[in-house]
Amino acid sequence: MQSNKREKKEQILGYFFIVPAIIYMLTFIGYPIAYNWIISFQDVTAKTLGSAARDFIGLENYKMIFIDLTFRKALLHTFVYTIGCLVIQFSLGFLFAIFFAKKFALSKPIRGFIVISWMLPVTVTALVFKFMFAESNGIINTILMNLHIIRQPIGWLLQGNTAMLGLIIANSWVGIPFNMLLLTTGLNNIPEDIYEAASIDGASKIQKFLKITIPLLKPTIMSVLVLGFVLTFKVFDLVYVMTGGGPVDATEVLSTYSYKLSFQLFHFGEGAAVANVLFVCLFLVALVYLKTISKDEVI
Amino acid sequence: MKKSIALLTALAMVAGTLMACGSSTDSSSESTVAETTDNIAAESEAPASTDSDTASTDGRTEITFWHYMSEDKEGKYVNQAVEEFNNSQDEIYVTAQYLPRDELMKQYTIGVVSGELPDCGMVDNPDHNSYASMGVFEDITELYNSWEDANFMEGSINSCYYEGKLYGLPWGNNCLGLFYNKEMLDAAGIEVPTTWSELEAVCEKLTTDTCKGLAISAIGNEEGTFQYMPWLLSSGGSVTDLTSDGSKESMSYLYNLIEKGYVSRECVNWTQADAEKQFASGQAAMMINGPWQFSGLADDAPDLDYGVAKVPKADNGEYASVLGGENVAICAGANVEASWKFLTWITSKEKSQDICKSIGRFSPRADVDIQEMFADDPLNSVFAEVMPSAQSRGPSPDWPEISAAIYTAQQEVFTGQKDVDTAMADAQAKIDAIGSK
Repeated sequence: MQSNKREKKEQILGYFFIVPAIIYMLTFIGYPIAYNWIISFQDVTAKTLGSAARDFIGLENYKMIFIDLTFRKALLHTFVYTIGCLVIQFSLGFLFAIFFAKKFALSKPIRGFIVISWMLPVTVTALVFKFMFAESNGIINTILMNLHIIRQPIGWLLQGNTAMLGLIIANSWVGIPFNMLLLTTGLNNIPEDIYEAASIDGASKIQKFLKITIPLLKPTIMSVLVLGFVLTFKVFDLVYVMTGGGPVDATEVLSTYSYKLSFQLFHFGEGAAVANVLFVCLFLVALVYLKTISKDEVI
Repeated sequence: MKKSIALLTALAMVAGTLMACGSSTDSSSESTVAETTDNIAAESEAPASTDSDTASTDGRTEITFWHYMSEDKEGKYVNQAVEEFNNSQDEIYVTAQYLPRDELMKQYTIGVVSGELPDCGMVDNPDHNSYASMGVFEDITELYNSWEDANFMEGSINSCYYEGKLYGLPWGNNCLGLFYNKEMLDAAGIEVPTTWSELEAVCEKLTTDTCKGLAISAIGNEEGTFQYMPWLLSSGGSVTDLTSDGSKESMSYLYNLIEKGYVSRECVNWTQADAEKQFASGQAAMMINGPWQFSGLADDAPDLDYGVAKVPKADNGEYASVLGGENVAICAGANVEASWKFLTWITSKEKSQDICKSIGRFSPRADVDIQEMFADDPLNSVFAEVMPSAQSRGPSPDWPEISAAIYTAQQEVFTGQKDVDTAMADAQAKIDAIGSK
């Protein structure tokens, strides 16, 4: 009884400690989200933006965007882009992580070097890749032509498919070190003695990898994948700078389309609706993540 | 408890989304990298604004003026003018603030909701109507009507009117012309093209493996539409009838230049500044561009010997140009009186003439004789001659959507996604649908 009371007291004290954080989150995160949901149900255009009384039009904005071809393309592109990036950056990032976990000379400086690409501002990366993918004078075409892999220069960012590929490559360049870093930390946290014990029991290298490394790394892998998904799915700056969603709508993703609707065409309601679709997609992924995490914690 | 913390974490994880796309019109949506870098760029250039000026602000009415004339080029002259104004009287102190164009436009929209607008600012003239309809700007009709010195060219002042009321003053005009590399034309022994078929012939002669005949911008934004307009108008086309023969002819003509390799296909990703880089580096023998590029060309290629001519006309058409430029306006809820004093000072005959000349614009005032002013200047005189007949875009609050339909059609054709007939018909359908919404 006594201890129960004290526990309660401590709990109340605990709430006081998180009050500032909660207030912060409600104002700076909660408010914009709520506001965005509200305007997505309103008729908000250039003419009604300034007026306080805007008509509630129910799901009209959502209806409009779902019959909009560009929106459907943007939704598809966002998934293609995200999955493409995840596959490349996770698999290569994992390989690098295992590689650098072997503590050879210079492994640390080289690893540090690779991380630079992750630390660059995305706008810079985007501009650099835009130049590298240029049809004439772009270094990628020059190299490929000198190696006689292609005969004619490719207009990388001028056609839909190659433009998307270019974006995926650019983002993977940033994403690989990010994946590598997190996975390396995970690998380092697996105690050496487990491997030693396995060696004594006569486990092969492949067995050790599949039965020890992978299961013990599972929480890290999950976080890397989910974080990677969230970060990639909400891409804006890279696409905006590299292709601007073009040519035509070939690389339009949800975030750039939402921006375009809101700030170039002044269809604020529809822009908010697109952003909310993006929000819902990510929220679902985050929930799945939390579910798997809490399962692991119970065990 | 654990669950709700988990839920909050989840919320926090996805929250960045909404902010990243900036669709939320709250000003806290500025945390994306792209915007941050923009802001850093803006801030790092802030010291160049009038803060460093010696005039004290004590007891003076302070007002802010937003503009998008980049600090290292035209912006210098804007700051100079502002400083001159601050020193010329002791009632008002103006602080000029540079923001990149896209950022500035976004801040206006955000400002309508958050109420954080400057006192006065600059706006691209085709967008003026949209922002006026949004309520960004103050109605200054009465002030204007009682202003003795009001004397602007009709096309320019018209772009400031929305539903019969005046929401701003013209700041500076520009239009497009054909820049040509004299050395290349002389070496090939050819004359400056004046018609479309001559242009094509010149392009054919000047296009080599390393050099394109002509550089244009056909990017997917207002710049792309702006650049397309002279061609559209010259062949008798119009934005209200994109499916007419004249309209289609202009699009087919440009596509033909790209198909033949005279114009780089990359123009769909090029801004006008990118086109200037191509021309300056000798990778294009000619370009379509405006007088604001003179200072850039002087920096990038000081030795380049170039000339300017009118944008070639359709073989059976007339010369045409499109009116570009900026207006200045007083923002809603701002200090109207002080702002009006500043804006009427800076758009007065003498000042308008000075500042426009230094920033590569032409004074929009009817009492400034730009042709006489630039009579001895072979480059500017071409633009000065074209200026009076330059046609404005809009004015219409729906212009951004009309423009989007046009540049999209242009991109569809140039990238080979649609043929001219389909692209133009689709664009026209989009424009027709705007009114019915």
